Amino acid sequence: MTSEVKIPDPLDLERAEEDRLRLAAGLARARQAAGEYAGFESVGLPDRPPQTEREREVYTLREGEMLVNMGPQHPSTHGVMRLVVKVRGEVVTDVDPVLGYLHRGIEKLCENATYTTVMTYVDPMDYLSAMHNEHAPAIAFEKLFGIRAPRRAEYIRALVVELNRIFSHGLMMGFLALDMGGITPILYGFINRDEVVDLLSAISGQRMLFNFFRVGGVNFDANDEFFSRLGTWRSNVVKTIEMSEHVITDNEVFRARTIGMGVLSGRDAIALGVSGPNLRASGVPFDVRKAHPYSIYPELEFEVVTQSGGDSNARYLQRIAEIKQSIHLIDQIVDKMPHGPVQAQVPGIIRPKPGRAYAAVESPRGLYSVYAISDGGPNPYRFRMRDPSFVSLQAIPKLMPGRLIADTMAVMASFDPVMGGVDK
Amino acid sequence: MADLCRPRRAADRLGRRRALTAPAKAGALVRLLLDRFPDLAAGLWTDEDSVEVTIDGGRNVAILRALRDEPDLNFWYLADAAAVDYGPTEHFEVVYHLYSDRHPAWLRVRATVNRDDPHIPSITDLWEGAMFHEREMYDMMGIVFDGNRDLRRIYMSPDYRSFPQRRDFLLPDDAADSSAAGVRPLERPETWDLARLSGNVSPEVIAHAEGEA
Repeated sequence: MTSEVKIPDPLDLERAEEDRLRLAAGLARARQAAGEYAGFESVGLPDRPPQTEREREVYTLREGEMLVNMGPQHPSTHGVMRLVVKVRGEVVTDVDPVLGYLHRGIEKLCENATYTTVMTYVDPMDYLSAMHNEHAPAIAFEKLFGIRAPRRAEYIRALVVELNRIFSHGLMMGFLALDMGGITPILYGFINRDEVVDLLSAISGQRMLFNFFRVGGVNFDANDEFFSRLGTWRSNVVKTIEMSEHVITDNEVFRARTIGMGVLSGRDAIALGVSGPNLRASGVPFDVRKAHPYSIYPELEFEVVTQSGGDSNARYLQRIAEIKQSIHLIDQIVDKMPHGPVQAQVPGIIRPKPGRAYAAVESPRGLYSVYAISDGGPNPYRFRMRDPSFVSLQAIPKLMPGRLIADTMAVMASFDPVMGGVDK
Repeated sequence: MADLCRPRRAADRLGRRRALTAPAKAGALVRLLLDRFPDLAAGLWTDEDSVEVTIDGGRNVAILRALRDEPDLNFWYLADAAAVDYGPTEHFEVVYHLYSDRHPAWLRVRATVNRDDPHIPSITDLWEGAMFHEREMYDMMGIVFDGNRDLRRIYMSPDYRSFPQRRDFLLPDDAADSSAAGVRPLERPETWDLARLSGNVSPEVIAHAEGEA
């Protein structure tokens, strides 16, 4: 029900003059009046006609609306990403995420790499959960190749992915507060991350892009020194987590800006493909570690925690609950850690038989899966990665209309997307 | 470096089906699928933790709707949707992975798509979240999803023209390789701005930019 009232605009004369000049020079019109198809130049896109129904919907302005670019260099877009936000005053009426600024074509690169070197390419995908990124291809390639990693290797794998989950969730808590203007919690988040990363670099030799998993095992064994450092960390970690929890959870501003914000129902979350902690915060107890147990998770005891709220605060509380479950898992893994080799015998160049394999793991952001096809050659014929934050991002345009601009980033941070994974 | 264009018969070699030996844990699902869709028996295949059916692309919406909504199947979660290119003379495949808490196996639905006329119905009415997957498949493979109301490029810029994950899209390294000598890379930058500025640009430049030089 848009009214046809023409608001007089002092710029109209100027625009008409500019258009006349541009037309004479053979150029397209500079801008168009509000109400027509508009705005591409104002958000930095070419003034071409819209390609789809949805694009026309987003880029057609009604009276009083304008388009604002958030990103790609916005400090809190968690990577390089652009949100085209349509606003009326301070209120968001539509959001269109524009992706691809970090697109490196990792799938194509992996299809041109050998099975062993794929592990180096998947690391920078979701760079806050590099261990999980390697876990899924390792499982998929082992299925293709028909081998199993030794039991000690499986335990070390489970240990490092749970450590990775803890620092990823800890950072999410900090980033969520940072996007609302709270500087302190991210420092606690990074203290926690540094401690875990030191452990992971003690076992893998790298701090961020670990390149630790191998087809049929892991790169290095965990030695006594590692376990003694793990013990020191374990005796402090509950305190570290509680410290950042105390700073955030009961903070009045944090509660005001997260409770009731970005409420996603379980039904919508399933339809949108949201997974992991974000789905469980909406009350759906779907966790790949239980749903399709892989590695040694059937032997370990843990709960699939859920929240009922479905809002930003529930997603935050879900992370804390999962950190506690991960610590519980690490205790069991260390107790049960068997002795033995950490790498199965595999040839230098792996050539699996023709076939297909699908492997899904529970990454800190949700269901991360790999679908690999072999044609018998030394590199995967098709290597497909499903990144959870890529899919979860679709929830943002659903949740934001009617909210304030300032809450866009707060809600987005509660989904914890990582653009390295979104853009592949 | 990899083989550039994979052998033409890649699909024959990849699509080879094993005998139908259902693992114990997926046996019930296989029986259920055989009862419900007897015409799909030929395309049924299982491995250690997934069951696979191959269908014709045009039937994807009806079959996925039945798989999602029928109470004994109840595959309520779309875990993945991806496209596979089996080479220039073969076909595309859109592969859906589904999850149900009633069945201890992933269900993989492989829908074949004609490569010369790559159209397949969109499943965004069933799972809204298939939107980004379909946009990615359109962007990377050039598969058109009929009924998708937002089918535009997602990673590449809107003015990009090629489909980089097709098997016949050569990487710059490959183009320099001896086996690909003389083959033009498929990548072509879009030229909408040159067309717009055609008064100022010579026709040769435009022809070159459009790949006809």
